[in-house]
Amino acid sequence: MMRYHVLHTVKLCPSFLEVDGRRVAEAGGETSFLTDLYRRLGLDYPKFFKMDILSKVGFLASEFLLEQEGSERFVPRDDRAVLLYNRYSSMHADQVFQETIAHPEDFFPKPSVFVYTLPNIVTGEIAIRNKYHGESNFILLPEYSEQAINQAIECAFLALGTTSLLTGWLEALSENDYNASLSLLNTNQ
Amino acid sequence: MITPIGFTVEENFAAVMSGHSALRRYEGLWGMPFPFVGSLLPDDELEKAFAEKTDDGRLPVRECTRFEKVTLLAAVEAVRHSGIDPQSPRVIFILSSTKGNVVLLENGEPDLERVTPAHTAQMVADYFHNPNLPLTVSNACISGLCAQIEAYRCLVSGHYDVAVVIGSDVLSPFIVAGFQSLKALSDEPCRPFSANRKGLNLGEASAAVVYANGDGEGWRMLGGVVRNDANHISGPSRTGEGSFRALQVAMAESKLKANDLACLNVHGTATLYNDEMESIAIGRAGLAEVPVNALKGYYGHTLGAAGILETLLTMRALDDGQVPATRGFDTLGVSVPLSVSSENRVVSKKAFVKLLSGFGGCNAAAAFTNDSCR
Amino acid sequence: MELTEELKTKMIEVLNLEEMTPADIDDNAPLFGDEGLGLDSIDVLELIVLLERNYGIKITDPKAGKEIFASVRTMADYVAANRTK
Repeated sequence: MMRYHVLHTVKLCPSFLEVDGRRVAEAGGETSFLTDLYRRLGLDYPKFFKMDILSKVGFLASEFLLEQEGSERFVPRDDRAVLLYNRYSSMHADQVFQETIAHPEDFFPKPSVFVYTLPNIVTGEIAIRNKYHGESNFILLPEYSEQAINQAIECAFLALGTTSLLTGWLEALSENDYNASLSLLNTNQ
Repeated sequence: MITPIGFTVEENFAAVMSGHSALRRYEGLWGMPFPFVGSLLPDDELEKAFAEKTDDGRLPVRECTRFEKVTLLAAVEAVRHSGIDPQSPRVIFILSSTKGNVVLLENGEPDLERVTPAHTAQMVADYFHNPNLPLTVSNACISGLCAQIEAYRCLVSGHYDVAVVIGSDVLSPFIVAGFQSLKALSDEPCRPFSANRKGLNLGEASAAVVYANGDGEGWRMLGGVVRNDANHISGPSRTGEGSFRALQVAMAESKLKANDLACLNVHGTATLYNDEMESIAIGRAGLAEVPVNALKGYYGHTLGAAGILETLLTMRALDDGQVPATRGFDTLGVSVPLSVSSENRVVSKKAFVKLLSGFGGCNAAAAFTNDSCR
Repeated sequence: MELTEELKTKMIEVLNLEEMTPADIDDNAPLFGDEGLGLDSIDVLELIVLLERNYGIKITDPKAGKEIFASVRTMADYVAANRTK
């Protein structure tokens, strides 16, 4: 029995952005697709440029998803959880940070990169942006699995106080290789 | 339970109760340009235990990494002690780790598939011929508690009857340099909740616990929850927002009252901001009277292992009617007057709450009891 | 290049102040808090790395950084007085 229903979905990859199955943007032009999408949102959120790729992709996908909801945003709430999954964790930030400590003669570990070497930082970025005090979690799977994800969603709705979920697969291995497929779910009660 | 001061729960329990700490100073290790205080697993003992207790015919690789070894070793011990059938489709494996095999990135052309902890989790499941896709909870420093909460929900949901939860992390230049760049490391053994605390120490450990459905005797989770500060990705909330909310919900879900609790086993990393934040959260949750303890003075911060290691040690100590001392604590240096002690304390209550917080603004609290009347 | 301009260019790079140019940063404007640049605790750590890497200045206590990093002007004064490279 489905205990929840899907409100909206978003899919973001290096060539296009789809919201609720409709193509709303395609890559092209000189600048980065992610930066283009950020400008398209018309936000004044300079923190975006400090994020690693995983967080940028997750942040943008969540913005386009939540725009659809139409209800009042940025009111503190703890009934919406943010639960994301992927296979490669924060691999891109890990590689960038490794580079800052790889050369003994130029050993300057970058704190602003290190903080992104955890996959769940993007869940924190989404929580900060939207004032979500609810659950936040990141689960790694050895491969994409609809069944494992559906079970994790059911488990997430067992949490006391959780009635809504921003959830999905979020992988970002580089500026040219990423995939976000997020949904907004609500319980049926 | 695999730590620098013991390879069994009993060894660790005895070491902690006698005030033994695994923390020591490392100078020039891995060519690091600064000394640091931490706790590292002894390689020779690890090799010996691994060779004795695991079956290399079941391993998919010729040479396991240290991370894979400690993770497998803890899993093998937990499965053996619990007597479960790990091949059953009603059993799921859940790993908790923050950085897994990240040390492999030092190689020129690293095998990225093997760097992700999801790969290690699959290796563990395959070792036991378990048919289910294993989960890896990677939720910063709260991973170990989150993984247990996930296990609890996996059982409540009816999808599984047993969950084997393993928490592991090993240290490497990556992790040590990272925490050093955040100026979070203390150059002395850490002093949780003390006025003169200077920061945290890092440690290596692996610990595993088996959750099973049933009304049997023993420790049970009564409820657990995660809450986010929604404030900053690396700095704890000054109002203790997430930890406060997590404590509040965990207490409500468990139906426990403050005076049911033998202790709050908290994060207590000994950074200026973490300990202060926890004191505020505990005060706001109306739990300031409850004895508080932190175990980082024995092991340092063991990252993905911490939630499981610290939960299990608290259970073992309460079985013995004791709350372990907060090693390194001297004069209280947080704004809410918490009940912290540098001595082991005798208690008779049989319930406690575990609290953790981590980067990404996440906080977890879970309540446990071994009182069969609850 | 004048030291203040040099610092601004380097800051924009290491702090990923994507939409800013050196001309947007006032020498005397506060770097932290809601006015001025609104930098945070990670930015402070990053500025400490900047000073060490480029000017050979070691700052071990991040709290001391608050005064040094009050504005581009205070930062430039500190660098001029303490640089070893």
